[in-house]
Amino acid sequence: MRIRAAVALLAVAALAGCSADSSPMPIAKPFTTTLGPSPATTERPAPPKCDPRASLAPAGALPPPGKMPAGSYMETIQKRGRLVLGTSQDTLLFSSRNPFNGQIEGFDVDMGRQIAQAIFGDPGKIQIKVIGYDKRVSSAADGSVDIVADTMTANCERWVDVDFSTIYYEAGQKVLVSKNSTAKTIEDLGGKRICSVQGSTSFDRIATVKAKPVAVARAAFGDCLVAFQRNEVDAITTDDTILAGMAVQDPYAKVIGDKISEEPYAMAMSNEHPEFTRFVNAVLERNRADGTWKKTYEKWLSALGPAPTPPKAKYR
Amino acid sequence: MALATRPGVLRRVGGLRHTSPGRLQLFIATLLALGVLAGVFAGFTGSSAGSGTSDLGNRAQPLLVEAETVYTALADADTTAAQAFLAGGLEPSALTRRYDDDLRRAATALTSAARRTSQTGEAADAVRALSSGIAEYSALVATARANNRQGLPVGASFLSEASRLNRDTLQPQARQLFEEAQREVDDGYGRAGSVGWVALLMLSLLALLITLVAAQVYLSRRTQRTFNVPLLAATGVALVFTIAAMSILFTQQARLDSTANRGTGPMASIAAARILALQARGDEALTLAGRAGSGPYEQDFDTVSERLLMPRGPMDNAYEDLDPQLGATMNRALSGFQSYVEAHGEVRALDEGGNYEGAVKLAIGAETTKTFESVRTELDRAMENRKTFFTEEIDDAGDGLGLLTVGGPVLAVIICVLAFLGLRARLEEYR
Repeated sequence: MRIRAAVALLAVAALAGCSADSSPMPIAKPFTTTLGPSPATTERPAPPKCDPRASLAPAGALPPPGKMPAGSYMETIQKRGRLVLGTSQDTLLFSSRNPFNGQIEGFDVDMGRQIAQAIFGDPGKIQIKVIGYDKRVSSAADGSVDIVADTMTANCERWVDVDFSTIYYEAGQKVLVSKNSTAKTIEDLGGKRICSVQGSTSFDRIATVKAKPVAVARAAFGDCLVAFQRNEVDAITTDDTILAGMAVQDPYAKVIGDKISEEPYAMAMSNEHPEFTRFVNAVLERNRADGTWKKTYEKWLSALGPAPTPPKAKYR
Repeated sequence: MALATRPGVLRRVGGLRHTSPGRLQLFIATLLALGVLAGVFAGFTGSSAGSGTSDLGNRAQPLLVEAETVYTALADADTTAAQAFLAGGLEPSALTRRYDDDLRRAATALTSAARRTSQTGEAADAVRALSSGIAEYSALVATARANNRQGLPVGASFLSEASRLNRDTLQPQARQLFEEAQREVDDGYGRAGSVGWVALLMLSLLALLITLVAAQVYLSRRTQRTFNVPLLAATGVALVFTIAAMSILFTQQARLDSTANRGTGPMASIAAARILALQARGDEALTLAGRAGSGPYEQDFDTVSERLLMPRGPMDNAYEDLDPQLGATMNRALSGFQSYVEAHGEVRALDEGGNYEGAVKLAIGAETTKTFESVRTELDRAMENRKTFFTEEIDDAGDGLGLLTVGGPVLAVIICVLAFLGLRARLEEYR
């Protein structure tokens, strides 16, 4: 009798444990669905006025790879033997998992690899950590990754917590709808369900649309595309870059309207070691000048049209 | 009229005890009534305990096994899908086969479970929700595969949607079904025990024996004959009846206790071990698939493996007391799981050290897979061992209950006839 009673209790406890511990995925991000007007981010006081595009100026010439200045954060990375890059794995063209070989690749990943190249002389000395969209600021701020390159818009609110590099891509928010939709802009989608990702600037902007569409939050943009293909949402809104990656995967989708916002992409780092930000800006400066940026664009983003001139660096 | 008659009848019956023939008539009536009662109770006890026992063996316990199958098959499907994702490129055919097999097992077990649950109630709700949920789940995975086949990253997102459905909705429903089945097994033991009927039967037999003895004592005092042969025979038959009923029922209770303590109990424990082991393996794959370093799944792995390795837990328990062979099987499962936890430690060290590819290779590689599969094989074997034990014991527990159902009333009729014959002969003397 003893075994039976003990065991029954245990089984129940064990099984109860299973569900309590389980959370969504395989792509480890918290999952939430909210309906109704998107939550405006009013918990924090308005950030101080700033120019989000202006970053820290490079300090002189780049040190040669493998010889990072003593005491700098680059030296810490060099000693560790790899650069830890925070990004996503489902944003086709920018950072997505290649299903054929399991590698994460794209424009953003190459941005990170170019930093690794500058530190080690080897673009492969990089560890990719997938982070949730709503963890991009905190992961950079608390040092759990060295640098975040994840279609991340530089804005004043985020500048409070992290340092951004200079802008490496100028994106803008657009809307993706199905091929047979008659909508011309996001304002034609009143009452429709629009998906975006919690923690992204585009999600917050749905609440400002006058036609009052219904905002639906997902953990990642891949999940938005799944919801779109399962007819759970009528549209997806985010940066034109990300939408282009989705349209490539779904011939029944189209991207409509003009850019309804400016989304200047920059890499985010902790603001505790500004020398690293200056170093990253120096790398970007060099790559703009020597055609590396253009080559990277042509490698990944030719679907968006011919390569524009790279965004100009602005410094404080 | 009825009101006027009843006190009259009572008074007449009450008046009987003042005369000798009256007392004899009272004895006849009491003995016949008690005999009929004992027969009826024996019939009810036998059929109630018999149907309870067979319900336990043929419905409640199989339902528990099926609920566990649904649960483990779903957990395994999730793990397999995540491992196939990790492998990259086309799914390895071994994983595809296992995944298909998992879904088939879940669907088959669910169909049988549906037959064994009543139309309404929590178990039925869980079965219905699981049926439609599994259909949706397999559709999602099929879409993920189709996309993966075309090299579209959205396939991975479909897979994560499927995994969410599995972990957050289907597995909790399977757990609910499992818990419901456990409750039904507990109730089943109660019904198979039929304590109420057994008590009534024993009381009526005791009263019958006492009345028979009292009737004989009365007769031997009132008449010259010390023994009344038919009454003596009736007493003998009643004694045989009582002893036979007691031995049949005690044997059944002992067998039920043994199936509960040595069958159902260990089975629940082995089931928990199997589910937890699969959960740990799934946590590992999901941590790697998430590619975000150690997170909530890794914490879950620690909790789960700690629970599994705990002394007197689901894996490390006094199984050898039940059956030396079972003990050996469970010891092999335990040491297999320990080596798997070691391999997992290496996987985590590689991943944390920045060698993601190496971590994936080790986690889904042949060696770690073999280690884990050995745990699973041993647990399956342990489960079969207890299932066989349960089936044998529950069959034996039902033995004799049919005899009680039929033989009890027959013996009761014989007792009644003998008692009536014995007392009527004395009553005749007063006419």
